[in-house]
Amino acid sequence: MKKFMVLTVLVLALALAGVAGAAEVQGVTDTSIKIGQWGPQTGPAALWGAVARGTGVYFDLINSEGGINGRKIDYFLRDDGYNPNRTKAIAKELWEQEKIWGFACGVGTSPGMAVMPYITQNNIPWVGMATGSTHWAYPPKKTIFAVYPLYPDEAQILTSYAIDTLGKKKIAFFYQNDDYGKGGLEGAVRELKKRGMTLAADVPVEVGETDLASHVLKMKKAGADCVIMWVYPKHAAIVLGTAAKLGYKPQWMACSTLSDVALMFKITKGLWNGMIFGNFAELADSKAPLMVKYRAAQKKFAPKERWGVFFYAGFGFVEPMVEGIKRAGKDLSVDNFVKAMQSLKGFQGIMGPITYGPERRQGLKKIFLAKCVPATAEVQGKKITYGKGVRLSDWLGVD
Amino acid sequence: MDMKRDYYEDIRLLDSGPQVFWLVVLLGALVAFPLVADSYQIYTINLMAIHVIVALGLNLLVGYTGQISLGHAGFFAIGAYSTLALMINAHLPFILALPLAGFITAAFGFLLGLPALRLEGPYLAIATLGFGLTITQILGRLDVFGGHMGLQAPPLEFFGLKVTSDAGRYAVIMPICVVLAWGLRNLTKTRVGRAFVAVRDSDIAAECIGVNLTYYKTLAFAVSAFYTGIGGGLMAFVLGFISPHTFNVMVSIMFLAMVVVGGLGSILGSVMGAVLITWLQLELARIGELPLVGPVLTELSNQVFTLSGLPNVQYVVFGLIMVLIIIFEPLGLYGFWIRTKIYWRTWPF
Repeated sequence: MKKFMVLTVLVLALALAGVAGAAEVQGVTDTSIKIGQWGPQTGPAALWGAVARGTGVYFDLINSEGGINGRKIDYFLRDDGYNPNRTKAIAKELWEQEKIWGFACGVGTSPGMAVMPYITQNNIPWVGMATGSTHWAYPPKKTIFAVYPLYPDEAQILTSYAIDTLGKKKIAFFYQNDDYGKGGLEGAVRELKKRGMTLAADVPVEVGETDLASHVLKMKKAGADCVIMWVYPKHAAIVLGTAAKLGYKPQWMACSTLSDVALMFKITKGLWNGMIFGNFAELADSKAPLMVKYRAAQKKFAPKERWGVFFYAGFGFVEPMVEGIKRAGKDLSVDNFVKAMQSLKGFQGIMGPITYGPERRQGLKKIFLAKCVPATAEVQGKKITYGKGVRLSDWLGVD
Repeated sequence: MDMKRDYYEDIRLLDSGPQVFWLVVLLGALVAFPLVADSYQIYTINLMAIHVIVALGLNLLVGYTGQISLGHAGFFAIGAYSTLALMINAHLPFILALPLAGFITAAFGFLLGLPALRLEGPYLAIATLGFGLTITQILGRLDVFGGHMGLQAPPLEFFGLKVTSDAGRYAVIMPICVVLAWGLRNLTKTRVGRAFVAVRDSDIAAECIGVNLTYYKTLAFAVSAFYTGIGGGLMAFVLGFISPHTFNVMVSIMFLAMVVVGGLGSILGSVMGAVLITWLQLELARIGELPLVGPVLTELSNQVFTLSGLPNVQYVVFGLIMVLIIIFEPLGLYGFWIRTKIYWRTWPF
């Protein structure tokens, strides 16, 4: 009788274990994983929507190679027009109706902030949001993994490069007067303070301003020989034009949001020449094997796309997610995936080394610097000049 | 059949027995809805209810009083930000903060109403557009309001009871929406409501018969702003996070579209317009996944359009629907409704 009891218990236990093992994870079958992303394809921020399309091409590439652990990726891209209430509707729709497994990237701080509580509440994996805000990783949330390097860190790296390598003494900081620009300013001030120095000038600019002559004069009067900028492309172009007119020629440096060097060279009509800027991903013409492979994928799956940094950033931001899924193996439960993500130590795709840990959700903390130089190419028999980046440094970080 | 025989018939809230019946059915459906719907559907209805509140307020201004506004996103923002600021900084409970925010918004509405006294038509449109744009710029620079970083909504609480689910928020939003709709219907049947209509039809004539233009025009702005402010306050909790980006100029234009497509000067029209446009906004984002049209559009987009061609198709379709409605039924959806009613009245003859 006792034996029989033991046997029954064993059978029951095994049956239960079987049930537990086969417990279904939403959005995952043996042959597919459903992953969603929102990104503005229309509206004021549509330019950044390239990130979301880049991710799509990356997934096409992975699927054409047989998927991850035999599972193909089912990708859902939704346009939110950079409007948070649509973002939230999209997140709900994808999670509750399409029954996706997790979210990749997602452009924009406000759209992301509108859905973050929902994502944490429901324990949904979300990796690689395309924004440098500190909200995602601090304080750490179990299922949310940030990639984009933080603005203060990046500014610190640019400042110390200006002083140590370029030998500049008087540094001015030209920034957009919001959290984006102020994040950069904070890093620059921190680095200078460490060395007992101060900024020669800090010059804020408001989003709506178009006449920047007084800003340039302020920097010129302070005698700054190096200007670091943390602004939108439009202001970067205006300030360079104004400075050229006023005969002010410092060493210009720029944040990684301005790292689309070909585009910047074009809209500044060549004034971008000589610019030193931060980069979170390899340069567009990099010979790194992964970059070569990704470029080929773009030619194959999306021949109309321009190979700009924001397009291939859509590849880079989700590389760690794909690696995490790979390492998690057959069991894609959230706990198992989080564990796999936390095992990423110095993982590198086309971006810098990415590390996560039980308390660490900020993956990338390093950038490298590059300089803009003019190059010529022949397009349809016509010679054109364009800007390209030349790498100046290895991946640099702050401690 | 619809002939009114005395004054009191004209000011009755509900005209006929069937109306009472259908109202009860509607209220019953609204009560039962969260019991059968899933969370996404409830979220969609919450958005619709908020837009209905705003459309009601805007229709009072545009449809009843004949003033135009392209700046209602500004009032929407003021309502949302004041509700949150009152709760976070002054530690007021939601139940006090929301009406208070409504009154703050109404005060701004009154202020905007003052220049509106001297402006009409396109000039008023531009003035209100400027207002809407300015508000978000100012909000983006004030640290109390989180600047460009925006504000996180505190948990919604009623007497110690936390509201966290969509169904819970529905239970808060829907009664407010119903009460405000009822209130507006009541208002339009009073002396004040008739004064608004008189101002719309001819302000000189209205003044001649003793309607104080200054008073009623600014009042219309204030009441309209109040409704929009309440809508904004509720929106802050549906989203859980607000920033100046949330209230861009497209939002103002959508509000106006709801009112025009729904039907100017009609409460039912406001409801229909808000519901239709909210639904289109959410559904057209998935146009590429429609059964037959989707693949055709996707193929067309790959062949002819630019990269973001397909997503932009939603706006083309959106615009097309609006143009068609206005061409074939200048009274908007409300006009369709009236025609349908008349058709069925004599059916099958």
